[in-house]
Amino acid sequence: MAELKIETTVNGRRIARRVDPSQRVLDFLRDDLHLTGTKEGCGAGECGTCSVFVDGVLVKSCLLPVAKVAGKTIDTIEGLAVSGEMSAVQKAFHKAGASQCGYCIPGMVMAATAALRLNPDADREEIKERLGGNICRCTGYQKIFDAVEMARDFLNGKLSATAFDELDAEDGKYIGVNVRRIDAPSKVTGALRYAGDMVLPNMLHVQVLRSPHPHARIVSIDVTDAEGLPGVEGIVTSVDVPGQDGFGVFVSDQPVMARDKVRYVGEPVVAIAAESLAQARRAIAKVRVEYEMLPAVFDPDEAMKEGAPIVHDYAPDNIVKHIPIRKGDIEAGFAQADLIVEQTYETQQVEHAYLETEAGLAYVDHDGVVTVHSPSQNITHHRHMLARILNLPINKVRMIMSPVGGGFGGKEDMIYQGMLALLTMKTRRPVRLVFTREESIATTAKRHPSRTSYKMGLTKDGRILASQVRIVYDGGAYGMSTEGVIRKGAILGGGPYNIPNIQIDTYGVYTNNTPSGAFRSFGSLQSQFATESHLDICAERLGIDPFELRLTNAMRKGDATHTKQPLKSSAMSDVLEAARTASRWEHGAPNIRGATRSDLAGEGTRPSCTLSPRAVAETPAPKLQHEKGAA
Amino acid sequence: MLSCDTYLSPGSLDDALAAVAASDGRFRFVAGATDLLPWAREGRAGDVHVPLLVDISGIPDLRTIEPRDGRIWIGAATPFQRFLDHPELIRLMPGMPDCAVWFADNQIRESATIGGNLVNASPSGDGIPPLLTANATIELAALRDGAIRRRRVSLVDFIKGPGQTEAEHDEILLGVECDTLEGYGGAFEKVGHRRSLVIAVVCLSAVVRLDPSGTRFEDVRVAIGGVGPVARRMTDVEQRLIGQPITAELLRACLVGCEQFVMSRTRQEYRKLVAPGFVARGLANAIERAGGSPDACGIAKEIANG
Ligand SMILES: Cc1cc2nc3c(=O)[nH]c(=O)nc-3n(C[C@H](O)[C@H](O)[C@H](O)COP(=O)(O)OP(=O)(O)OC[C@H]3O[C@@H](n4cnc5c(N)ncnc54)[C@H](O)[C@@H]3O)c2cc1C
Repeated sequence: MAELKIETTVNGRRIARRVDPSQRVLDFLRDDLHLTGTKEGCGAGECGTCSVFVDGVLVKSCLLPVAKVAGKTIDTIEGLAVSGEMSAVQKAFHKAGASQCGYCIPGMVMAATAALRLNPDADREEIKERLGGNICRCTGYQKIFDAVEMARDFLNGKLSATAFDELDAEDGKYIGVNVRRIDAPSKVTGALRYAGDMVLPNMLHVQVLRSPHPHARIVSIDVTDAEGLPGVEGIVTSVDVPGQDGFGVFVSDQPVMARDKVRYVGEPVVAIAAESLAQARRAIAKVRVEYEMLPAVFDPDEAMKEGAPIVHDYAPDNIVKHIPIRKGDIEAGFAQADLIVEQTYETQQVEHAYLETEAGLAYVDHDGVVTVHSPSQNITHHRHMLARILNLPINKVRMIMSPVGGGFGGKEDMIYQGMLALLTMKTRRPVRLVFTREESIATTAKRHPSRTSYKMGLTKDGRILASQVRIVYDGGAYGMSTEGVIRKGAILGGGPYNIPNIQIDTYGVYTNNTPSGAFRSFGSLQSQFATESHLDICAERLGIDPFELRLTNAMRKGDATHTKQPLKSSAMSDVLEAARTASRWEHGAPNIRGATRSDLAGEGTRPSCTLSPRAVAETPAPKLQHEKGAA
Repeated sequence: MLSCDTYLSPGSLDDALAAVAASDGRFRFVAGATDLLPWAREGRAGDVHVPLLVDISGIPDLRTIEPRDGRIWIGAATPFQRFLDHPELIRLMPGMPDCAVWFADNQIRESATIGGNLVNASPSGDGIPPLLTANATIELAALRDGAIRRRRVSLVDFIKGPGQTEAEHDEILLGVECDTLEGYGGAFEKVGHRRSLVIAVVCLSAVVRLDPSGTRFEDVRVAIGGVGPVARRMTDVEQRLIGQPITAELLRACLVGCEQFVMSRTRQEYRKLVAPGFVARGLANAIERAGGSPDACGIAKEIANG
């Protein structure tokens, strides 16, 4: 490899370095200069977490070969807070609460800064357009746009600097008061270090070989060629697990790495630690695994049938868990009903798509404590599982929660921490693994796909007499949080309605799909989608206003749920009334309205989303105003 | 990941071609790298090692934008953002600004070049339809028998299929020569899953010139992309319109049969709905920008709104 000599100016400092010509500017900034405020979210130019200025022009540093910045000037998020004072844009992001997980925020701040430099008078629509290349998963963007407008007004002299100040909490009260987030400065300045930003001396880089097959027996794993490659320091497979190899929230059915067979495409089989990421990747390519294909099953209803391929030997019916709930007599209810409506509803797999991909850093400390930093949403649970897997007393395992760059439940199930622990124990060196975006999407847990069969019996005036609900959740290849998810589905399966006769069955089923795991709303999204869609259909069939139908059946104070939980309070009716008023709801059954509705548009209504470009193309973008004000 | 042993940034065409000649053929040209780097990732080409990368974006002729023989020369390394802020390009290439606005996002546009877009030859490459309407001619250069061989190919002949072009492996695309379309009105229509950073499901370029009264088509050029292996001029539509007064009947008639351009294997139904809609909307926007009379604009808009 011919090294490349590069001279650049970064954040005002002249830098001359010999670099690897394969590097991107992103790698140069993060790995060589330790400027980790610039993040990698996708590596493919899609997300904007890596936005930096090159000669004053905003670009995505993940798509920029390092040679391209020779002789140029780079400005990163770290360069905005000159001599420690945050820029106006950063202050505005802090004040507006425009940061949540914070992972997209350095890029957002850079894009906002660029937008206001290009047009100091940009309106909200133009701000949206100019921030179009930066994706946020937490905020919903409104606060980000608020922040950019606030910074704009300050820079144009329309707002005083006190606008950024913290309001005095009245009488020490914080609820109902706009409080600045205490963790925001670290996020808007890029100072906060996520797991993938952390380095330790002598740290090794980990890469994982994953299964290309949905269901196959592992005949042999040959790592001889990989072992001999330069830089390779440690290789682990399931044989390296010293303790009980199994984790999961309810059943410990998931090995740290595939044991004997693989159950989904993307399941880890071999993990390798090497001196550099490139060496680890080269070594992975040299591992040879021989598989013997097994029949696979991809549909949970198919999986429950006699003779379906068995995913786990301990569960020959492929059922992770069945939760039945019975109240009253549904047949009696249906017999009295004036109307019976039956329908099936399906929901699909969903990816959490946090901007920070999974990452972890592990080391064994001087007291022999195996320590793992990762953005885990459940460190205590992970610690207990890991102690058992590693066959170590609990005081020899330590989990440290690094800042979570977005989780939404996706970082609740333990996925890769075990591999890191094994590799650091084997190599006695710190090890780090950072998932690529592709790896994150292809191999980590998703929201459970579901199929719900609904049968509901109602009286003419809209009283629900009986509900029969059967929900089949596709748990994928491993149990993970499935039992909890389907339990929630059962508990909330009938909706917040007082129904005298109800039968609910939820099933979590093994298939050879990517495992399903925790995802916010945890099992109830699927059942609520079915219940509320079903009620709209019933409202139509009965000719009743959908709000009325729900209010007729809403649980009230003093009612008991179908799991016999007495309700000491219930906000259901209040919420419905508030929504009805706020939406200026036009009364009537869904199917009796005319062509025009009185409750569309009007005050407080957001205009519909359009797909046309917002900036007017003919007007040339204003010339760049370098370093205007403190923007 | 894309890796290399050597990354060269030659300052002249001679140096670039010499470097290529001295290699064993295992090299790749780099312009903006916005196709190259995402290509070398999991799910696509995976990890790729190319011993030599030759960055052609610093070669002066590839960066030139200037009039040539009554046409306009646009160097291959011109990034898409220039169509939004270079006054000459805005004046002479009215089909391009809208295309640029729809192209990726403002950051990628600073890197992504027209040369890369053409050599990449994606069926939904946004730069291709407007360059087709500008009757673009491609200029290529390669070293043959120790001398630089330059040759010209029309854009229509240059792109042969998805990812396939006339360019030989060691040929550098120098730039494109286009008709100057001053006084034309241009429009670009695109639809995908979201506003920014999106691959077109359908994209369309329309440029028109009207008579001084703004009621009659003098010239019409329409090209559609994203609906088949290569983007194409919609000559049937053009022929029906050229020389004709702008009437509702005429506009309606020219939409008939537009769906025949849809050859894609996927989302056929949807694309067949979009194609005539885009012709109508593209023409309406182009007529307005070409100085159409209030009547003509009104008629075209009404047709576009269905
Ligand atoms: C996030 C994102 C969004 C995108 N959005 C769009 C979009 O909206 N519309 C669209 O059309 N495209 C889009 N693209 C694709 C890409 O940006 C364009 O195709 C761009 O024009 C490619 O140009 P480049 O200079 O980056 O090419 P490079 O990646 O540098 O090169 C592409 C190919 O062309 C070759 N090449 C480049 N220049 C020359 C030359 N002068 N002579 C010979 N060979 C050459 C290279 O060897 C390579 O094979 C997007 C890409 C990304 C990452």
